[in-house]
Parts: sequence; structure tokens; C-alpha cells
Amino acid sequence: MAEIRVAGSDVGRSVGDLELSRAWLVDPASGREGPGDLIVEGGVVRSVVWLEGADAEEIDSGGVVVSPGFVDLHAHFREPGFEDAETLGSGSAAAAHGGFTTVCLMPNTSPAIDEASVLARVRDAATRTGSPIEVLVYGAVSVGRDGETLAALGELADEGAIGFSDDGAPVRSPAILRNALVYAGMLGRVVVDHPEDRTLTEGAEANEGLVASILGLRGWPTAGETAAVARDLAVLRDALADEPNARLHLTHLSTSDALELVRRAKAAGLPVTCDVTPHHLGLTDEWIAGARRWAWEAVDGHGRARSPWADGALVAAPYDPSLRVNPPLRSAEDAAAVMAALVDGTVDAIATDHAPHTRVDKEVEFGLAANGISGIETALGVVLAAVDTGRLSLARAVAALTTGPATALGGWGWSGTRGLVEGAPADLVVFDRGSTWRVEADGLLSRGKNSPLLGRELGGRVLLTVAAGRIAYEDAG
Amino acid sequence: MSLVVPDGTGIDLQAGVPPSAAAAPARWSHRHLLDLDVVSWPEIELVMQTTDAMREVLARPIAKVPALRGIGVTILFYEASTRTRVSFEVAAKNLSADVVNIAASSSSVTKGESLVDTIRTVEALGADMIVMRHATSGAPYLAAEHFGGSILNGGDGWHAHPSQALLDLYTIRGHLPGGPNLHGRKVVILGDILHSRVARSNIWSLTAAGADLWLCGPSTLLRGFDRWAAAMAAVPGHGRFTLTSDVTAAVRDADVIMALRIQRERMSGGLLPSLREYAARFGLTLDRLALAKPEALVMHPGPMNEGVEIAPEVAVHPRSVITDQVTNGVAVRMALLYLLAGAAGRAREATGG
Repeated sequence: MAEIRVAGSDVGRSVGDLELSRAWLVDPASGREGPGDLIVEGGVVRSVVWLEGADAEEIDSGGVVVSPGFVDLHAHFREPGFEDAETLGSGSAAAAHGGFTTVCLMPNTSPAIDEASVLARVRDAATRTGSPIEVLVYGAVSVGRDGETLAALGELADEGAIGFSDDGAPVRSPAILRNALVYAGMLGRVVVDHPEDRTLTEGAEANEGLVASILGLRGWPTAGETAAVARDLAVLRDALADEPNARLHLTHLSTSDALELVRRAKAAGLPVTCDVTPHHLGLTDEWIAGARRWAWEAVDGHGRARSPWADGALVAAPYDPSLRVNPPLRSAEDAAAVMAALVDGTVDAIATDHAPHTRVDKEVEFGLAANGISGIETALGVVLAAVDTGRLSLARAVAALTTGPATALGGWGWSGTRGLVEGAPADLVVFDRGSTWRVEADGLLSRGKNSPLLGRELGGRVLLTVAAGRIAYEDAG
Repeated sequence: MSLVVPDGTGIDLQAGVPPSAAAAPARWSHRHLLDLDVVSWPEIELVMQTTDAMREVLARPIAKVPALRGIGVTILFYEASTRTRVSFEVAAKNLSADVVNIAASSSSVTKGESLVDTIRTVEALGADMIVMRHATSGAPYLAAEHFGGSILNGGDGWHAHPSQALLDLYTIRGHLPGGPNLHGRKVVILGDILHSRVARSNIWSLTAAGADLWLCGPSTLLRGFDRWAAAMAAVPGHGRFTLTSDVTAAVRDADVIMALRIQRERMSGGLLPSLREYAARFGLTLDRLALAKPEALVMHPGPMNEGVEIAPEVAVHPRSVITDQVTNGVAVRMALLYLLAGAAGRAREATGG
């Protein structure tokens, strides 16, 4: 059993001296994992010692794990404009609770981050929170995120934008998307698209499938995502002719067909990356009907989705609005495709799409509820449940939370390393796979309590999160 | 089988129930009636038997009993409706409930009053039961979570309309030549299945009854039901249903044909080219009715677009039981209010409240 000793702790303070002995270290940067000791002195990693032979006995990956701090490519901290749902302070605290030391915030605030001055304001406010979490910000692709007029990409980049996105909505005009890819490519930045063909999804409430049919919810077809991904890839190909540095990242892919398109595009050498969310990996649309089993428990021996009605798997009330999310929770087959794409590397990153909402916006009729799940604190627990199936390795999962997102961003905005590196300021998360925690509204540090996992036990309790050599989160228990 | 309601009055159901039915083992255990998916067949039979008793009440010179005296029933409709609202109101008044009618517009959402606020307000004003109609699927489930009494779903979005399905079943059982057993009898629901809460609730009750259920309409309006049919068929012993866009195959030798209303707004989404084309291809005409069994029943949940989904001469055909559906609606709703009040009363006794 690993021991953790922290001297001089408090959120925001230097972690000081820290000794993590006989833990399971995972270092995606070097591709190595195994038993080891990690010593931090004065907030700096002094030594990483990999244990072997007798020293390594009885240490396995099922106990305390030390990994580089996680990077979230996709989060909403709602500031400015929606501070009753989240602030940079509460969001940073929630991120640290989830093991994240770097977050990339989407620009769908009010006002939208489509001008350098708004971006500067967000970065200043993030600094003032006192959290050591690194807050990175995307600029909008288009003015007011209307999809029609290109935003001030160059000025936003000068102010530190790590990339551009109209998230919450797709870049509506394909012509604007092409120009944005070209111009952002010139600036060395990635364009992140939320792929959704809104002509196919207008008014949609739940994944088009058995659950939506029985519950009478307006179907959200998978083609709504696939058609948009196909469009984006076609546009990217043209953009590359204009600007060889153009790069596209597709966020929160949820369907088997869209993932297959990305798999082929990558094989063809297109500069495209993508992420998936923990909820599209672990949860399915049958949760809306009242099922509460993991996605991998909802398929039969042939990999086909089972009917929760036939299985007697409906254990909760249907229509829980915390399950309303864009893209919607999909079928168990799609969730299996998400898992497979993570395993084979089609998916570069796990991103939370942390979308906190107030009770006013969420405690309403399912079809009227705001889209989104508050997920940054539960991401690790859901991912570890997937690891527990044996299909996804711990190393691959950690890579998708650390080096994968760094690759997708193309290295912009990084002050830290993404590895357990001697001599670097400590940037790491310590979690215990042998210890569970119960997800409860009061226990979530996010202002958004809109989690469908409330009441559920998750594994991988985060014991300590250190960012830039400073304490970001420490488990009180 | 008389239930004691909180004020100790109640009605003697025994007198109105056929002897065989009086021995029914089922007891109504649901605090709310939101859909029929969680209602067992013996419970459905209990509703049928209780409805028989209520019909006896309705046949009395003064069709009024004190069963729900002192019980507050609020009829909260967020969607325009005449027949269902009035049917529930008459049913509740026949049982001597204190009835409050609220015609809430969905625009109260934009005014900032949430459904949860409204439910709490209605409860504070003394409602023991809420009959609720809402345009959003699942809304009654949210209401049920925040209401201390009973919610009776009077129709939610595309999802469910359980009292309609039960009155349909009651009407079929009462008029089907050869007796009330639906096992193996061909029942066809014809029309806009996709948007129909009536069809969805009827799937549960008619398959539970063992009917040979067919859903027929243009393929655009059957979207997604193939998965439901497949999921049902995969479970041995469960009911099943057949989907088709071939209206001739559907109505041939049918015992019951239920036409559903086609709404004009379906044209805007491209689901249908025109009402004219719908009437020609899917309308229930005399020619099509002639393909069914000679004594086949014609049904419609109303309101009808005569000349579109049903020809005027079919609507008033001797085999049409459309007005019986309306009459039975009151009796079925009396039975449901009565059973829900009984279950709520027992729950209060059990908790000593």
C-alpha cells in the first residue's frame, strides 16, 4: 500500500515535500507503467524510481495510482455570463477534484469569447481564483458564434487562444469552416468542431432508437452526427490544399459511423483528431428509460443492445433531465464503438464536455431541459469502470486523459510537461482504485449538480491533485 | 370488493361486479397512473371490473356517489383539450370529488413558472390528485416526483394516454362479437403512429390482452417502431405486434380497426405530401372496411377529421363504436380515480398519516 505524506498543504499552496512510495506509476509520455516511488521536494519532482523484483511485490494497478495531471479538452465554466451555473473558481475546484490540472474552456459564454478583450478577461479571472489549475481558452470561430462571420482569430491567438470552436453549435457554414481551418492553420491553431447537422436534429430529444420510440421522445438520428463529420472531413481536405497546417479536431463523437469515418480519415493521413466523453463511453439511452447499468452490461453475447424492458433492468424513474445532453446518450452498440475506438487509437482524447447547469434550467420537463452533464468530477470514475471490464487498459485510458489531448492541441499553450519528469514542477494526480466514493450533490465542487450519477458509487477516489507544484485538491478523508 | 376511502363512505362495488370478477386477485397498488407499461394484466382486469361497477352508477337516475367526497382533484391541462378534460371532470364530479380546473398554457414556462412550482402550488391549494395533460413526453413523471398525492396522466406528448387505452380496451371487450377475450383477435391501429400517445399506450394493453395487434400507416409515421416490435418479439411469452404500410393487408379480416387523427402540421416536416394523398392511401373507407370481418368494430379516439383518416359514412356506420368510446371514457376514468384514491388511502393508513 502506498503512503502519501504531504507537508504544508492547502489548496493553492506549494505541495512542498511529497513522498509517494510503493504506488503504481503511469507515465504515458515514456510509455511506462509499474510500481515505483515518486518524491517531490519543494513542489518539484525530485525522483521517479521504478521498483523491480522483491521491492515491487504486492504492488499492482488496482491500488493507489500516480499519473500526470489530466487535461480536459472540452469544458464549460460558464464565465462570463452564466455564473449561477459555474464560475472559474468553482469549475477549477471541480476539475481538481476530478484529477484534472489543465482545462480547455469553450467560448460559448455571454458575451461569447469572440474578441481578444473577452479572452483576456477570462484569463485574468482564472488567475485570480488562486487555483493552480491551468485554464486554457478557445476563441470562437465566428462572431457571436453565428457561423457566418469569421471572428478575430489572429487577435484571439495573440491573446493566447489555444484553438477555435463554435461549440454548443457546429460551425454552421461550411465555407466559414473552410476559411477558419485555413486561417487557424496559418496561426498554428486547431479548429474544434461540434459535429451536428441541425436540419436532422431540430427538436430532437433522445437518440433515435428503442428508448425514444417507447418513451415518445423526438428521435435524434445518428446521421445528425455522421453527416456533419463527413462534411467536416470533406472541407478539411479542401482546406489542406490552401494551408498544409490546417488541423481539425472533432469533439464528443458518439456514434459508431462517425468514429469509422475518422478511423478512415486518419488512415488516409488527414490531420484530424477526436475526443469522446465519459458519458458516451459508459452510459446509454436506456438510462432515460430508467436503466442504471453500464453500457457494456447492456449488450448481449453478439454485441447487440439488449432491451431493458425485457431484462427487467428499469430501476429508476424515466425521463431524468440530467440525462439530456448533446449529443444524446446513444445505444449500447454505439458506446461499444466508442470503447473500441479508444482502444485502437482512433480516439485521441477523453474530454468531459463538463456542462454545469442550474436547477432552474435542469429541473424541468425532459424535453425542455438544458443539454449537458456536469461531468468533470465523475469522468475518472466512469473511465475506470470501463478499464475494469478488461477491454481498455489503464495505460491507454490515462494516455487519453494526458498525452492524447496534448497531441490534439498540437502543443499550444502548455507550460507543464505531460509526464512524470524529474526536475519539473509536480503536475500529477493520485487516485485509489481500491477506494470508492459516493457521488452526491453536496460533495460535488461544481455548481452544476446535474449529474446522472448522483447516488452512485464510483471507483478511483482522487486523493491528491497537484498542478504546477501547488495543491489543487486534497481528499479530506 | 368495496374500498374504504378516507371519509369512510365508499361505494359498494360488490353489487355492480359480475360474480366471477369479484374473485379477482388483483389489488390496485399504484399511487400514480403514468403509463400502462408497469400495470399488470390482472390490474387491467381490475380496472375493467371496476368500470363495470361505475357503469351501473352511471345508469342510476342520479349518477352520483360519494366515493371521493372530500378529495381534491385538480385537472391541470397544459394542452387544449375538450373531450378528455370534460370526461375527467364529469368522472370526478360523479364521484363527488372537489374539482378544480386549471387550463395552464405552455407559455407559463416562458413566464418563469416551472412545472415543479405549479405542482407545489396545486398541492398547497389542497389537491389530492392531479389529472395532467402536457405536450412534453414524460412531464407527468416530473410532476409525480414533486407531488405528495396521485398523478393521473391525461396524455403526455407522444408518450402515453393510459385512460384512453383502457377505455379503448373496455369498449372492445364490450362490443366484440364472440365475447370479450381478445386473444388472437386482429386489432389494427391505422394512422399517425409515430406521434400518437394513444397508439403507444394501446401497444401495452392490447399486447397484454393477447391481441394480434397491427400498426399501419405511411412508413414515415411508423419510424422507430420496428425496434420496439423486434424487442418485444425477442422475449418469449411477451405480446407482439406487426407493422405494415400495406393498408389492405392490415384491414383484411380485422376484428377491430382504430383510425387515428392526422394532423395538418405533419405536412410541414415532409412526413406526408398532402392530406388528399393520405386519405386516398390510408383513409378508412367503406371499401376498406369491407375487407375486415363482417362485424368488425370501427373506433377513433377523436377528434376526427372526417374525410381524411375516416370517411364520414364509416364514422357513423352501424359497426362504429366511437360514441361508446366517449361514454365508456367517463366510466373508465371514474374507475381510475376511485382505484388511485383507494391506493393513496391505503398508503396513508400504512404510514399512519
